[in-house]
Amino acid sequence: MDAPLLAIENLRTYFYSRAKRAFIRSVDGVSLGVTRGETLGIVGESGSGKSVTALSAAGLVTAGPGVISGRIHLHSNGAARNLLDGLEKYARVTEQDGRVVAVQKDERGWRKHSETLMAGVRGKEIAMIFQNPRSALNPYSTIGKQLVETIRLHTSLKRESEARERAIHWLERVRIDSPRLRFDNFPYGMSGGMCQRAMIAMALSAEPSLLIADEPTTGLDATIQSRIVDLLAELKAETGITTLLISHDISVIQRLSDRIAVMYGGTVVETGRAAEVLAPEATARHPYTAALLASIPSAETIRRKSYLQAIEGEVLDTIEVPRGCRFYGRCNRVTDAIRENCAGIEPPLAEIAPGHKVRCWLYPAAEKA
Amino acid sequence: MRRYVQSPGSVGEFSQLPLWQRAATLDLVYVGYGLLVVALVLASYLLGALGWLPHDPQAMNVGLINAAPFTPGHLLGTDFLGRDLQARLILGIQAYFLPGLLAVTISVVAGSVLGILAGYRGGWFDTIITYFDNLLDSFPRLVLILLVIASFKPDIYYVMVVVGITGMPVIANLIAGKIAFLRQKSFIEAAHALGLPARTVILKHILWLNCRALLVIQATLGMAEAILVETSLSYLGFGVQEPTPSWGNMVQAGANYFLQGNFWPSTAPALAILATILGFQLLGDGLNNLLEGKRRK
Repeated sequence: MDAPLLAIENLRTYFYSRAKRAFIRSVDGVSLGVTRGETLGIVGESGSGKSVTALSAAGLVTAGPGVISGRIHLHSNGAARNLLDGLEKYARVTEQDGRVVAVQKDERGWRKHSETLMAGVRGKEIAMIFQNPRSALNPYSTIGKQLVETIRLHTSLKRESEARERAIHWLERVRIDSPRLRFDNFPYGMSGGMCQRAMIAMALSAEPSLLIADEPTTGLDATIQSRIVDLLAELKAETGITTLLISHDISVIQRLSDRIAVMYGGTVVETGRAAEVLAPEATARHPYTAALLASIPSAETIRRKSYLQAIEGEVLDTIEVPRGCRFYGRCNRVTDAIRENCAGIEPPLAEIAPGHKVRCWLYPAAEKA
Repeated sequence: MRRYVQSPGSVGEFSQLPLWQRAATLDLVYVGYGLLVVALVLASYLLGALGWLPHDPQAMNVGLINAAPFTPGHLLGTDFLGRDLQARLILGIQAYFLPGLLAVTISVVAGSVLGILAGYRGGWFDTIITYFDNLLDSFPRLVLILLVIASFKPDIYYVMVVVGITGMPVIANLIAGKIAFLRQKSFIEAAHALGLPARTVILKHILWLNCRALLVIQATLGMAEAILVETSLSYLGFGVQEPTPSWGNMVQAGANYFLQGNFWPSTAPALAILATILGFQLLGDGLNNLLEGKRRK
């Protein structure tokens, strides 16, 4: 098989809480692969580490200590590179029985080296769109000027007039009405949905290999959300761009993703083809995924006026990570047979069906892995 | 009665209206007056620099001292030595024009650099700049200037360097505050994510697009401040020395004759100071309202 376009291996991104003098293990050993042409959806509650994973891949984590270990391989334009190559020497991680207890990081050296690794990658190979698009555009410049700027930076079109034509072409492609007029609009003169379209145009205008969409529909109202999702689906069909989609909204993930990774407490707890992971009749899945799916209101539950099925307990705070399974405290499927394992040993991500991996002791595959 | 009229052109295109149609009338008056003053000062500076004066500013006429305005040959009258006031007023601009520009340049350039370091880098830069600011604030500016004059020499350029440095923290703080505000919006992060180099983000997206109005406003206010400092020092005798004219030493020289009924020789330069400083201040104020959108019709 073709090597994945982006392969994240054992990524750890930690932050530090001064008040508690403890690490916040936002991303704690995540491995993910995004194959060329597919959309990988990362879903999880707030604080599960999905955005931080994406920011780490784009080299945009600024708070310390940040990325402390892992590899991020990018295979594009026939070249393979590790976006964290050689960064290990700037961070000295001290571990005590499997846990990080201290990190000594040369932040400046790290940042400098990371910038050289990311040069020509960020924006060009990996483009990103964010939530709250209105604040992601410079309020004092027209969207046209901002679009022209990225086009001239990343493509061979260096002449103003050519870049302008390309910019208008892109505004058209993201279905902005009368792009020639909109070209001279400032962000505050446009709706949130329109701004997100402009952001998408800016991200795609560099013709990147990978698009990271970090909660692209958050901060927009419901009808606009579904239009943006439609647009992403159409652009996907047209350009075939590889996408890493991050959302806490399962319906968005469901509509756009080929494969899904469910994250909880800084780790991936389940990955697999979207159809398999989210299939309504499927039984073999992580208890967290099952709970997530059960918490979506359906037409049926609304008609019966029954309560939404919330997940008991609170999202795992990634400061005090338990020894065993991270979901143990909230899990409703622990049986006596596996309780000891659940409480004491973190389950491995084990393959329960071809291409479908689950991190749970319920499945015998976990024992073998 | 108020009129509410839909502007021609498409609906909701607020930004498409020209600036002067969006602005409040008062702000336009402020800015208009300010620009007039700036133009007059600039023109007078050039006249003085080229020596194209209506009269020889040093020529004394003992027969015609403390003459009133509109005396034939002397439009604004003469001073206590019978020298032409109009020519001396025009030449007086030489005393503050270039030094004032120097002070403004120092405070704007250095203030921007410090502001960016504090706002963009943060950390200990921010702390140091805050302390520096507090230090300058707690020390009377005039005393600092007199100290410099005492320890170096009574040169207006030395003084203006001090004025520039003491004006720096205000601008640094404003820029740092602006950056802190902009950081809440994610477009700086988005610009990085789009791969724009840090230099472009800082110089173009932060300083040029978001801070230029603020800098222009601060520059005009800084110029007003510099003029005030120069005239005060010259009045006190620490600035430009006789016989070279400065508005400050003209007020001082005329003041001796003020109570004898010859109020004009000191009132003329005093009015010039008032009108000029008011012009720069109102220009700054008006621009602040226009460009920063502090007041809307």
